[in-house]
Amino acid sequence: MTTNNKVIIIPCSGIGKAYGTVGREAAYMVVEELRPGVTDTVCLSLLVMGEEEARRRVQENPCITIDGCPLACAQKNVELAGGKQAVNLRVIDTYKEHRDLKPQAVTLIDENGRQLARFLAQQVAAEVDRLTAVGADSVVPNEEVR
Amino acid sequence: MPDLPDKKVGLVSCSGEELAEGTIARVATRLVLEKLRPEETVTICLPLFLAGGQEERAFARFYPTIAIDGCDKMCAKRGTEAHSGPVADLVVVSDILAELGLPQPNSRRALDEEGLRLARLVADEIAHKVDALRGEAKAPELGIVDLSGAERPAPKVAPGETVCACRAGGLPVTQVEMAWGRVGIVGLQPLFERAYAQGLRPAPGVGEQLLKTVKVYNYVPASAEGEYAKALAREYAAFCQRKGT
Repeated sequence: MTTNNKVIIIPCSGIGKAYGTVGREAAYMVVEELRPGVTDTVCLSLLVMGEEEARRRVQENPCITIDGCPLACAQKNVELAGGKQAVNLRVIDTYKEHRDLKPQAVTLIDENGRQLARFLAQQVAAEVDRLTAVGADSVVPNEEVR
Repeated sequence: MPDLPDKKVGLVSCSGEELAEGTIARVATRLVLEKLRPEETVTICLPLFLAGGQEERAFARFYPTIAIDGCDKMCAKRGTEAHSGPVADLVVVSDILAELGLPQPNSRRALDEEGLRLARLVADEIAHKVDALRGEAKAPELGIVDLSGAERPAPKVAPGETVCACRAGGLPVTQVEMAWGRVGIVGLQPLFERAYAQGLRPAPGVGEQLLKTVKVYNYVPASAEGEYAKALAREYAAFCQRKGT
């Protein structure tokens, strides 16, 4: 599958915490609702496995990573794959701006989580607009962290 | 693998974002962690094997681990085996759907009723494998998973975070003083407990004996084995002293 000239949205999908679920939902909101056509996602697990096609996609397209906890799995794995890390967003930062929206559920997102994801998705969409306006080629890939 | 006192089963889901089967894998894994086998299972985020440290990468060597994959690329299995350790069993969502002649889920984002039914089926299969690894046999629990209303905290396991082993939340790590500084050793306390229960007491060679088991769960450089054995003998003597012998 070719996804050149698309912004790749990669959430950590952390399975142990509600913020991981929020990040995943926000990514889907952007890819399927807010900016379909100019965005796509890649299975983060493919990058963990080192699949060539997934690595190529994050290397050739600007990436926005969304992390649910300070361990920053999405950001670090994209960097390790040599991806074009354009922006990293943290769910906790969005939560700090909306403290009334404390997400509780991990398995199936709850209403607070969905609303929080909506705010986060709007931030991601704004970053997509910025990246597509300036052009993907202007994104400088991050150096590998190890 | 030694029979540790806390014999939990590790679950590693691919959670693949591109496919609905990845969402099924993720939700099914969560159902086992929260509803079906909350006290018998623990999880870790697959990407943490690369983003984390030695403690996280010890996961599959410490827990007998089931990989839950959405598709035949088997990222959870292959990623776990590449960066942590061999998996004890495997569940592939697409295989289960094919075997049962079930359709693909409609959405990768939000599971509808049919998607949730599929997730329950997969969860039941995972729970069955958990029981098999723990040597327990239970009747199939197909269909009993209650998804209505808010998620309920599982007994003795707080919802969400305690089932996750990141930053050693589920992996017991003991800091041990070595000649060059402190080293975190995964699983040391349960290994000591087991050795003590089996009658092992401080004696010449006990450090080397303990080291054999420690090496199952921890990377020990060959050049450091002597120092590890010495430190283990010292720590075990202190452990036995606290036990009163």
